[in-house]
Amino acid sequence: MSRDEIEDLLYQGYQGRRLEEGVRRSGFLQWPEHAVGIDTRSIVISRTMKHAVDGRGDLCCPGPMSPGPALAFGATPLEFLRQLAHRGTSPAAARAGGLSWTDLRRGLIGWDGPPGMMTQVLAGAALAFAQRGENRAALVFESEKALDTGGWHEGLNFAAARRVPIIVVLVASGSAGVGRVRQIEEVARAYGIKAVTIDQDSHAGIFATLRGARRRAALGGGPTLVALEGATDDRWQSHEEFASWALTEGHVTEGELESIRRAAAAGVDHAFARIVKEPGPEPHDALAAVRIGSPPLRPWTRLKSPRPDGVAEAPMEGPSVN
Amino acid sequence: MSTDAPVHVTRTRSGKPATFLEAIAEALWEEMERDERVFLMGEDIGAYGGAFKVTRGFIERFGASRVIDTPISEGGFTGAAAGAAHMGLRPVVEMQFMDFISPAYDVLTNYVATSLYRGAGPLPLVVRGPVGGGNRGGPFHSQNVEMAFFHTPGLKIVYPSTPADAKGLLKSAIRDDDPVIFEEHKGLYRAPHCRELLPQQDHVVPIGRARTALEGEDLTIVTYGLMVHRSLEAAAELARDRIRVEVIDLRTLLPLDEETIVASVRKTGKLLIVHEDTRTGGIAGEIAMRVNERAFEWLDGPILRVTAIDSPVPFSGELEDFFLPSVADVVTAGRYLSRY
Repeated sequence: MSRDEIEDLLYQGYQGRRLEEGVRRSGFLQWPEHAVGIDTRSIVISRTMKHAVDGRGDLCCPGPMSPGPALAFGATPLEFLRQLAHRGTSPAAARAGGLSWTDLRRGLIGWDGPPGMMTQVLAGAALAFAQRGENRAALVFESEKALDTGGWHEGLNFAAARRVPIIVVLVASGSAGVGRVRQIEEVARAYGIKAVTIDQDSHAGIFATLRGARRRAALGGGPTLVALEGATDDRWQSHEEFASWALTEGHVTEGELESIRRAAAAGVDHAFARIVKEPGPEPHDALAAVRIGSPPLRPWTRLKSPRPDGVAEAPMEGPSVN
Repeated sequence: MSTDAPVHVTRTRSGKPATFLEAIAEALWEEMERDERVFLMGEDIGAYGGAFKVTRGFIERFGASRVIDTPISEGGFTGAAAGAAHMGLRPVVEMQFMDFISPAYDVLTNYVATSLYRGAGPLPLVVRGPVGGGNRGGPFHSQNVEMAFFHTPGLKIVYPSTPADAKGLLKSAIRDDDPVIFEEHKGLYRAPHCRELLPQQDHVVPIGRARTALEGEDLTIVTYGLMVHRSLEAAAELARDRIRVEVIDLRTLLPLDEETIVASVRKTGKLLIVHEDTRTGGIAGEIAMRVNERAFEWLDGPILRVTAIDSPVPFSGELEDFFLPSVADVVTAGRYLSRY
């Protein structure tokens, strides 16, 4: 890892921690606090990809619950909080929730659908990279529950058959089916693709392994299946341990580390302060992106009384809101 | 068009009328030559040329990277098509039979249809394939699938009835930024009465506009697909009773061309809706409701419908003939309605 990469990891790791703490304290963000748990290893994995802001970099679909990869792909704490608070200013304009959204210029593609579906979608995106001969790859985080779905296997089968540049990370879910990620070597063998179980306990080790997988994908080596074991397993290096390592190895000084931590905290705190004041979406925004096949609403489809003089072509009424 | 095009995509250029199936092939070929982002995915569409041979000769011209033989996994490859569309390609997915679209229902309704709404941008994706009964294909090779998708905002549904419309609408669908379900009735694919010289010079037909297949004053029939032809036959018979029928061919089901329907009903005062799809939850219900909202005062009789019966598509010929709407059914309903 270069010094810049180490500093970026430290910054994004601190951002993630601060977001977690803030959400837990806020009281107004309706989201299960464990769901905001930012596994810094997912940030490390995501940092190994090629990043851009012009739509020419790699593509990443963070899992449904972890915003870590999105941070690595340039998402900001303000965007997260707007999403969580369903603000009209949120990236999905409050029409879709969740911690991931789509911004193809930055290489982010929002998670939507049941476990496994995004492996299908990212396999298709990777197919496009391969067809155009681009040095690009796709990265998708899936819960290990995806192993139980036909959809995930269909997506992986397609990716394997076409040998597209994709890295599929299966994250231990910590609920039903825990430990299934250990089966991935068998699964990968069945599909004729490479499997990687992250067995290093250091961020640097994970970084080296995944960077290799990314390079192989871009060179036409096909998909890689990655198992990421439980985040609570104490074998893994925490963000604080990573910071200590960076300090001990001389990658950063005590002062630089503190400066990075403060900068990350300031950005997150500022984002919290802003969203408290921001309004929710306008009711009519609910229809803003529906442009297909919807007949105009007529007054009697709403709670207001019909206007006797305007039954044929009455102007659209807004939906009632609480 | 390149000189190496196979015979079935150059029928009109050689001066002969093209079939409905050839019109589909010609549209695909022309769009693939026009735009290198267009590519095909489906089961056996490459070396085998497709179950109905629509894509025969395509892999030789466009290569295996643009004519992709997929595993038998409609959900998986439709999801992959969505990803490719995100990245700027224009996939055209063939369902070998549209009955097989059901495994892709999840990704089409939950992911593809909602993409624009969720802020994930447009998804230019066409899912096309053969539908409809009359070929003794039984329950799994004969269904009409439009109403499974009709109430999903974000999708377009196209269902042409003539070769020229099939060509023009498919080209429009491929160029459209929204996802399109494109239904092709198997009964029209090689029907002798359904051949015509296809318009050339980049013929496109706009999505969302119905056409008046026959003008009349006494009764409106709104229909689409193969039933347009059945309805025209019925109209000819009703004309012998001096009942002048207007036949509206919807061409696009979603968005529905409400204006053309309402204008016709306001002219004739009577509406009969004919569709091959089963009755309950069929499009007749939606059309009737819209006419009720906008032309109630113009109606001189009840809105009637002729449809398939509420049953899976039977396999035996006798049963299937009973199941499907016939010309005689349309004539009977037309006569009944004309008496109001």
